[in-house]
Order: sequence, then structure tokens, then C-alpha cells
Amino acid sequence: MSLPNEDNMASQLSSHFFGDLLDSIIVDVASECHRIARLGLDRNLEDEEEELRLSAQARVRVADPSNSGEANSKYVVDIFGQSHPSVASEVFECMNCGRSIVAGRFAPHLEKCMGKGRKARPKVTRSSTAAQNRYSRGSPVSTYSPYSNSTSSNRLSNGTSGVAGEEYLNGTFQEP
Amino acid sequence: MSLRNPSYTNPKPCKHLEDYKLRHGLSGYKSIQRHLKATPHGRTSVEMLNTGVPRCNSCNGFQGRLYLCLICNSVSCLDHTLLHTQSEDGHDLAVDIERAELYCCVCCDQVYDPDFDKVVMSKHNMGVPRDDKHGDESIGERLVKRRRLGLGVAEELVDLKKSKQLVSMRDRRDKSCYPLGLRGLNNLGSTCFMNSVLQALLHAPPFRNYFLSEGHNHEACRRRSGDRLCLSCDIDVVFSAVFSGDRAPYSPAHFLYSWWQHSANLASYEQQDAHEFFISVLDGIHEKEDKSRNRNRDSGDCQCIAHRVFSGLLRSDVTCMTCGSTSTTYDPCVDISVDLDTSNFSPTDTVNKRSKPNENSSISTLLGCLDLFTRQEKLGSEQKLFCETCQEMRDSVKQMSIRRLPLVLCLHIKRFEHSAVRKTWRKIDRYLQFPFSLDMTPYLSSSIVRNRFGNRIFSVEGDESDINTDFEIFAVVTHSGTLESGHYVTYLRLRNRWYKCDDAWITEVDEEIVRASQCYMMFYVQKMLYQKADEDLSSLPLSPRRDAYLPIASCCERLFK
Repeated sequence: MSLPNEDNMASQLSSHFFGDLLDSIIVDVASECHRIARLGLDRNLEDEEEELRLSAQARVRVADPSNSGEANSKYVVDIFGQSHPSVASEVFECMNCGRSIVAGRFAPHLEKCMGKGRKARPKVTRSSTAAQNRYSRGSPVSTYSPYSNSTSSNRLSNGTSGVAGEEYLNGTFQEP
Repeated sequence: MSLRNPSYTNPKPCKHLEDYKLRHGLSGYKSIQRHLKATPHGRTSVEMLNTGVPRCNSCNGFQGRLYLCLICNSVSCLDHTLLHTQSEDGHDLAVDIERAELYCCVCCDQVYDPDFDKVVMSKHNMGVPRDDKHGDESIGERLVKRRRLGLGVAEELVDLKKSKQLVSMRDRRDKSCYPLGLRGLNNLGSTCFMNSVLQALLHAPPFRNYFLSEGHNHEACRRRSGDRLCLSCDIDVVFSAVFSGDRAPYSPAHFLYSWWQHSANLASYEQQDAHEFFISVLDGIHEKEDKSRNRNRDSGDCQCIAHRVFSGLLRSDVTCMTCGSTSTTYDPCVDISVDLDTSNFSPTDTVNKRSKPNENSSISTLLGCLDLFTRQEKLGSEQKLFCETCQEMRDSVKQMSIRRLPLVLCLHIKRFEHSAVRKTWRKIDRYLQFPFSLDMTPYLSSSIVRNRFGNRIFSVEGDESDINTDFEIFAVVTHSGTLESGHYVTYLRLRNRWYKCDDAWITEVDEEIVRASQCYMMFYVQKMLYQKADEDLSSLPLSPRRDAYLPIASCCERLFK
């Protein structure tokens, strides 16, 4: 069993070390911020805060039911004074088969007309995700991220053959 | 950032630093050089190898910060730096041993000198090939010299005066108070994903200017490739129709047909992703141009309109945590997809209940997402990579940054997450705050890399092109609903008024509606192009073949909120 004095010493020492570490960290942060401020590298916080304030204000005002806000535009007149049916009624000729089709039903018609079928396909993102997930060339390791980044990369690999083809769409952007 | 900010490259020295430099030049720095030790984390410290634990000359203390005199190498603690300079005349400058920062003992302040930072940086393995031709040129000089490079491409797309004659005829159908090019698009059956992106493309200033000024010539295109599919031709048709002055909603049927022929795998009548459509359209434009045009031999960049407008360059750095050496790769991109920064949910929020609730800490912001995108990411131990320098598998850190910004920046928010429990994808409806004015400086490679090395004053590849970092938003594509079933709506900002483009319905809305909306894709354009676009809206050129335009009446009042 240790003497009370020793316990006291131990906790004093550990407080002391902790205090030193804390001081060191604080000075580090202060030094970094000093450099950033003195060299004019700091972000324009005023502008950023103004944008935040405007957004917060906007959300409050929009959420308030007493504000007329946005009426469901499908039932109002547009700014040109026109009103439209919920299903587009314009009629034109299908460029594949020549039949007259109502605009609002054109896509389903065209699908059958062109012989395309419905496909079940997961949502896929590419572009910068591909770049993000790439490390040094030839890395055999799979991508990692604590955020959904990794899951989207899973999507890419699990896609149908149609998806796999898309995965390399970004490849066409690269310089040879 | 750098050009507008002279204090970065040339911070004003205090009198004592000035005197020191006059008398001793770089000799003190050079003598310190061999004692500088660089860590793989981009930090630097001073190591006096043979003296063991450094102690203050005056009080023999070893705690707190210690400062090494640049002239006599004596060490003082913070309490005694003043004493040292009083007893030894002219010994004003010292170096913080812990952080390798210059300290003026008389001013009792940290001071900065590009020459000192240069010495510090020489100890770091940057991993990026240094441009040896410019060894002795000051950073300021280099930046000034290369200033003009960045504007070349943009100027071409911006200057409409170069293109055809201006014609204005009266079209009685036109509702003249509203900006040109504002026209509803009919939904052809779950095609709001297409309509929403088309609206954004129709109003992306450099993209719009290109098509409206006959950038893509139908006849020449037909002659070159016969009847082969050309998405640019089809987009050109849409531009003509939308900017014709006719305000009845337009049905982009032919465009849909063409696009389905191009993207056969996406051709189906079902709800689709607007972002996928966007990428697919740009790809379609590129593919066609790629075959017919020559590459720009100077820079090797693709000159198709899709890339000239949207293409930027991302930089990816992977750093070995043991030796600090970095491997860098560059990837072109036509947009940036970011994850939502949901990390602001901290368990310590409960602790903060006593203090005033800070809204900002629990809201996701676009800047937060970009911070997340560019932060240093520790790769897990199961993902060790092979380090060339160490010749071993090592723990690494990865960091993304933007090497070159495009003229039009498309930011895509990945609003979906996978639930491991339910094994399904789910949409994230969380609100994301986004600014109307965006400064991309902190996300540039130069800023990110510089920050990694403690913001030392040194030039980073790409400094010269970091001029146009201010962006203005002009289109927001929003999504409401679920992953399987939802609706896209685009908000357009024309002449500082916001218009909601909900398929065929165009209405004017207050900016608050836009700020409070659930954004999915945001389109920002470089500020100078945005300002010019506003001017151009009143006098767009057209070729003789086209329909008439009507100049905007700038006198009308806002009709309704």
C-alpha cells in the first residue's frame, strides 16, 4: 500500500506533465494561427458567416407556414402568364417511327419504339470519385473511407456490365 | 490568393529582422540548416545533436518554449530571451526550437522571412519535381510573369464581340421583360432529370456563349461526318429553340432520342440520376469532338467545348508516414463529387447544452464538404502502400486538392448512403448550406500543399494559375423525394433574380427559397464570367439563320415575389 504522500506526488506530476503538454499544444496552435494571420492566408470569415446567416434566415422564413413562399407551381400560372396541364400536351411526330405522340408520354413510347427495355440499375457516381479513390498506380488495396465514399466505390464494382462500361467513361477524358 | 496578397510573398519584417539581415544575410540561416529536422507530417524542428536536453542559458530551465539565438547559438527560455538580447548587443533574432519559427526577442513576436522558410523547406522531401530553372527568382517575380497564362482560354469564350453581328428584331410572342433563354421544358415522361441539367447547361455562360455564337457549325459538322450522331448539334438545336424568344414550353424530344442513342445503357423510361446524365452528355460532346478536332498541341488539353468549360484538374498526394515522401498524381475531372460533412454530429454536443447553442456547428455546409474532400485522410493499416524511398509497405496519408479550377465548377453532393443493416441505398435528405459566392482558394493544391508544410513561404507548382478563384453560383439542381422516385427542379440565377425551372413551369422565386432548398448539384462560374454574362444577356449575337432575339427591357419592376 502506498503512502498518501506518494499518491499526491504522482497525481501532481501527472497534472504537471499534462499541463506542459497542453501548454505546448496551445503554443503550437497560436504559432500556426499567427503565421496564417500575419501572412494573410486566413479565410474570409466575415463573408462565410454572412452566407451562413442568410441561409439560416432563409430556412426560418421558408419554414414559416404563414409565408406564401412557393406555391405548388404545377397549379399556378408561370411568369409568362401561361398555364400548363400536368402532363405535357404538345403533340409531335416520333423521329423513330413517325407516329404522333403526346409529349408527356413520349419517353415511354420511345423506349418501346427503340426497343430499349427497362433496366434495374443502381445509382452510380463517377468523375471525381474515381480520382479520389485512386492512390499510387498499381495499388492492389481496395479503397477506404469512413464515409460513403467507399460504398459508392463498391457500387461501381458491383454494377451490371452496363455500369462497368460507364466506370471508364471518365477514362475517355484522360489525355493519352 | 497569392497575387492579391502581397504580404504572403513579402511579409513586412520588423526593424530588428531588417537589421539582422543587413548585417548577417543568410549566414545564420545556413548555419541552422544542418540542425533542422523535418518530420513526415510537414513540420520542422531544430535538433542540437550533441547537447542532450536543451536548457536555458540563464535559468537552466528546460520546460516551455526554448529559443536558439541565430548569432551565438545560445538557448533561452521565453522568460529570458529579452535578457539575452540586452546582454548581447544585436542578438535579437532567435529560432523556436520546437517549430523552427523565427522569433524577434525585442518585439517578443514571431516574425517571417521568405529566405528562412526557403531554408526550412529545403529539408522537406516535396515529392514534386522542382522547377530548377527558377532557382533564384523570387516567388513574386515568377507569379507576376505567369499571370497572364490563366486568362487565355477564358477570354475567347467570354468575348462575344468577336462573334457575329448583333441583330434585334421584335418578336410579338415574346414576353420581353424576362431574360432571354428562360423557357420551360416539357417533361416527356420522368425526364425531369434531363430538363434540370439542360437548364443549367443552357445558362452556363461560356457554354451558352459558345453555342449562341455558332461555335458548333451544323453544316461543317454534317459535311465532316454525314448523318452520324452528334450531341453538340442536338444541343445547338435546343439552344436555338430556348433562346428564340418563344416562351411556350419546349419539348426536347429529339435531344432525348439522340442521347439515348449515345448512352444506350441509360436509355430506358425510368427515373434517372441527373448527375449521371450530366456526365453522359459531356462525354457525348467530347467523344464526337475528339474524333474530328486536333488537340491543342501546346498544352495537350482537350479543346472540346465540354472540357474547355467544365474540365479541371485534381491532385492526389499520398504521403508515407515514415519518411514523408509523397507520390503525386493528377486526374482531370469535369465536376467534383463530395460527401456530406455529417461529422459535425459530435457526442460532445450534449456537453455544450449549457452554453449558447451554436447553430453553425451542427449544420452541414458546402465549405465543410470541401474541407472534408481536401482533408488528410489516414489510410488504414490494412491499406499500407509501398513506399519507394523506404522500400517497404508503409502507413500512408492521402490528400486531395484542386490543381486547376474549371471555368464552370459543378459540385455534386453525394446524397446517398448505404445501410449495412438493411443492405440498401438510402437518400440523405440532410440540409446543406451553400454560399452564392464561393472562394475556392483554400482548396487549391497550392494552398493545401502549403498548409501541409506549415504554411511556409515557398512556391508550389500552380501558384501562377491560381488567379481566378472567385466563383458565383448560377444554377442549383435540387432533388426531392427518394432514391427510387423523386423530382428534380433547377433554380437559375439570371441578372441576380432567381427563377424556378420545374419542367414546363418557370416562376420567379425569392433567393430565400433557393437558399433553403435541398441542393444536389450546384453550378458555379468564375466571377468575371458571371459579371460579363449579365451584361451580355442584353445583347446576344445571332447568326443570320436564326430566329430573332429581343433585347431585354431593363426598366421593368419586379412583378411579384
